[in-house]
Amino acid sequence: MAEVALQAHRISKFYGDRPVFHGISFSAQGGEAAVIVGRNGAGKSTLIRVFCGLTRPSAGRLLLFGREPTALQAAHFRRVGVLLHQTLLYANLSAHENLEFYSEILGIADPAAHALRWLRRVGLEHSADEPVSALSRGMEQRLGIARAMLADPDLILLDEPFAALDADGAALVASLVREALARNAAVVFTAHAPLEIAGVELSLFKLEGSGLTPFKDEGRRGALRSLLRRL
Amino acid sequence: MLEGFGPLVRKDLRLELRSGESTVALVSLSLLILVVMVLAFGPGGARRAEVAAGALWVALIFAGTLGANQALLAERESGCIRGLLLSPLEPATIYAAKLAVAMIFMTEAGVAVLAVLVLFFNLEFGAALARLVPVFLLGALGLAALCTLLATVCGRVRAGAMLLPVLVVPLFTPALIAGCKASAALLAGQPIGAVTTWLKLLAAFDVLFVTAGYLLFEHVILED
Repeated sequence: MAEVALQAHRISKFYGDRPVFHGISFSAQGGEAAVIVGRNGAGKSTLIRVFCGLTRPSAGRLLLFGREPTALQAAHFRRVGVLLHQTLLYANLSAHENLEFYSEILGIADPAAHALRWLRRVGLEHSADEPVSALSRGMEQRLGIARAMLADPDLILLDEPFAALDADGAALVASLVREALARNAAVVFTAHAPLEIAGVELSLFKLEGSGLTPFKDEGRRGALRSLLRRL
Repeated sequence: MLEGFGPLVRKDLRLELRSGESTVALVSLSLLILVVMVLAFGPGGARRAEVAAGALWVALIFAGTLGANQALLAERESGCIRGLLLSPLEPATIYAAKLAVAMIFMTEAGVAVLAVLVLFFNLEFGAALARLVPVFLLGALGLAALCTLLATVCGRVRAGAMLLPVLVVPLFTPALIAGCKASAALLAGQPIGAVTTWLKLLAAFDVLFVTAGYLLFEHVILED
């Protein structure tokens, strides 16, 4: 049976008195992919930050690989790959230096070669020596996704991974998701509209009115299916 | 325990070598403060050693706050600190690396200030300046430890950079007094044995500030 990578039990997040979300229960296990859909400001980014253990929930219980995030050993963080709204890249370092640095702190052997492999994988090998500040938003997004995937994590949390990407970039993310699922990783990502990835069974959830519910808008899903199948 | 310390420090130094922002800002600010102090008090007179010591430490205080802030600035931009928090690095390792970088920035400023002190105060390059090294290093370590911790706290609030010196100076005052007294005595030609009490006090504050930073950094760096 696949390992449960993420378990959230009735988690809530408040900023002051304002609830961002309330009483959310959710789980993701290896080999499964889920999409959380919500309009702008629905709380998707906050939910991803809570899911990865970066932000503490105001209430409820979150387990990553069966442990509270605060009880996780440092090594467990190698098992979690996260793309946030910000790409977490150093603007004055080159694309290669960024990936090399993150490979080093992840304890990956031969970080320079590993960084180069990932640059090729996301189609940025020709921009390896360019500073991140000189990259387009789409290129930076590709690099951010490569950063999140560096250690072949078992739990992948992506906040709007398709944002700012062209068709090739979207196809790249789709293929990375398929690869991750094939090696039994759990993938959770957010989007502002429902989508599908060819060959991947996605569980769709809607974050609305501070609650998370299974997505039931079959008509809209059907309309989008043909458009997005090529991803 | 300090796995990842080397890559973090190397990354910060690489960023600094590329932009030179911190070095230029720290050295310029320190020299400016020194010039103002020299113009205000005059380089000569019977209290030359005390004025020189005071000028040195005032410059170092501002270099310390600016240096610690700069060491954390790159992490705040583009939310890179989150990238570190999501990595296997222990918060204590991040703190140690930032402390080391702040120390390096302060040492740069310290060397520039000492060179100008020699010129303005007509001091001799020699034993008196060499004896200042342990005083400087002990003071700089405590100051860097305190500034790194408080710069992390201030980084989370609006206008935090303005707030940092306001928080640092009162907390660092006992060590500042020890540093000034020891420096003045050494510049006046007294032997190092005459300032051991002040050195012990500086060392005690180092232990206090480094331990506090080591223990508290995890709590101030994590998000709510």
